[in-house]
Amino acid sequence: MMNKNNNSKRQIIETEISMGPVHSAALEPYRVRLFVEDELVKDAEITVGVNHRGVERIMEGLPVEKANSLTEKICGICSNVHLWNSVLVAEKGLEIDVPERAEYIRLIMAELERIHSHLLYLAHGNEVLGHETFSMRLFYIRETVMGLLSMVGGNRVQYGCSVIGGVRPRCDLDEMKIQKILEGLDSIEKRVMEFADRFISDPIIMSRITGVGVLTKQDAIKLAASGPTLRATGVELDLRREMKQYDPFEFNVITQDDGDVKSNLLIRVLEIPESIKIIKQAIKDLPKGPLTNRNWEMIDTDIIKNYVEAPRGKLYHSYALEDGRIRGSVIRTPSMSNIGAMQHACIGTHITEAQLAIVQCDPCFTCTDRAIKIQYTPLSKGEK
Amino acid sequence: MGLKSYSRARAVHVMLVYTGGCNGCDIEIVNAVLSPRFDIEQYKIFLTWNPREADVLIVTGPVTKHNEEPLKKIYNSIPNPKAVIAAGACAVMGGVYKNIHGDIPSDEIAGPVENIIPVDAKVPGCAVRCEDVLAGAVSALPKLLEAD
Repeated sequence: MMNKNNNSKRQIIETEISMGPVHSAALEPYRVRLFVEDELVKDAEITVGVNHRGVERIMEGLPVEKANSLTEKICGICSNVHLWNSVLVAEKGLEIDVPERAEYIRLIMAELERIHSHLLYLAHGNEVLGHETFSMRLFYIRETVMGLLSMVGGNRVQYGCSVIGGVRPRCDLDEMKIQKILEGLDSIEKRVMEFADRFISDPIIMSRITGVGVLTKQDAIKLAASGPTLRATGVELDLRREMKQYDPFEFNVITQDDGDVKSNLLIRVLEIPESIKIIKQAIKDLPKGPLTNRNWEMIDTDIIKNYVEAPRGKLYHSYALEDGRIRGSVIRTPSMSNIGAMQHACIGTHITEAQLAIVQCDPCFTCTDRAIKIQYTPLSKGEK
Repeated sequence: MGLKSYSRARAVHVMLVYTGGCNGCDIEIVNAVLSPRFDIEQYKIFLTWNPREADVLIVTGPVTKHNEEPLKKIYNSIPNPKAVIAAGACAVMGGVYKNIHGDIPSDEIAGPVENIIPVDAKVPGCAVRCEDVLAGAVSALPKLLEAD
């Protein structure tokens, strides 16, 4: 990483504070090196790789249905969006039309997951801030979403909603489920807004988080930040605007201007009502019809790519299909492209706030460890 | 019951180690311990991040090769008597990561936890349910309390 003030003279910083890979302040295993001068962080380096399990390697050569269910195990927070994207890749390659009802149910699950992920982020952020009361309250609000997710999918963490061509029959929404979802959403919205009011009007918290860990708009673009971390710096870029699944719905893209911890926390608070708005529209116009389209054939394809907007940003999946088996799978998670932003946000902060500056970018290092790349050459090209 | 066990029964400290799982179990356990819904503190079990303070070690994840040494270090720095709980399918038997296509072991995984440190209680599930974690933590208590 370069220094923020771009000195042409090379600076040697002697004090180094190294944490990890297992450290009490960091929940997930990763390594941070902070180069400190006068208790101010001059440079930071984050190393991941401790968590590498090689899911792509395991996926190689598996039947596509089996491999899709493996992608869920990449991340325990945004498991549904990984599965969704992996299924979308197969559907794009095999040109499968998904029934409208299935599209709507997938989208409802994705937005419920976004709410749960953002609430988890806010709870964890408040814990790092040192405000246990808010943290506990947010964990309690989150339990409502977890209840809804486990009611629809049958499990609290990995719900396995999407299958190729539609959704699992278990995830169908009947009247009772719809009623419960609507009730749950109302209660979540009310309590999140109450939390937001108290959070913003608390002068102590505001003075603690304003102007800490600033990431400017130029830096965020240069470091390829994505998702809410990018939008917190004032860039209006949301992949949901470009996805055809989100076309029928009306929602706002929330942006904040400062790029500090305050903007990052507020943007996630404000995105929760937008997600609730999308779910309510989807439930209101939920079309009737079949859940799955079974009318498709397996063909060989070249590498297929797809992007979706995960709770943390842009998520990329790609693979090729050969005899119904997966070849050359590549996955890039949003936290991977946010690592640069995390390192940059640390620079200039006080040493006690460095952890906060990392957490503000919503890191999920367990899904980031994707260093593997399987080179894929199609059989037909190899023979030539 | 000696004085040590008497006082230990009133403040059992649990430490959580992530060894490369998918974050699902980890969050469920932190939830079980922290959140007001499953509140483990009502059974006088507290969360700590300091191994020298801990009595019970909860391990999640399939233990990647990089995490093997840190896990051993953490286990050795916990004072006796201690109990280890392996939580989640990965920690119990390696989960989906341990074997590539049947019998070929993965290069990345050193686990399951049993191969590295002795395990006293196993909590199944992918991801573990908070209730099971509570039950697992409670089932490991007799070992601590009957020690002295």
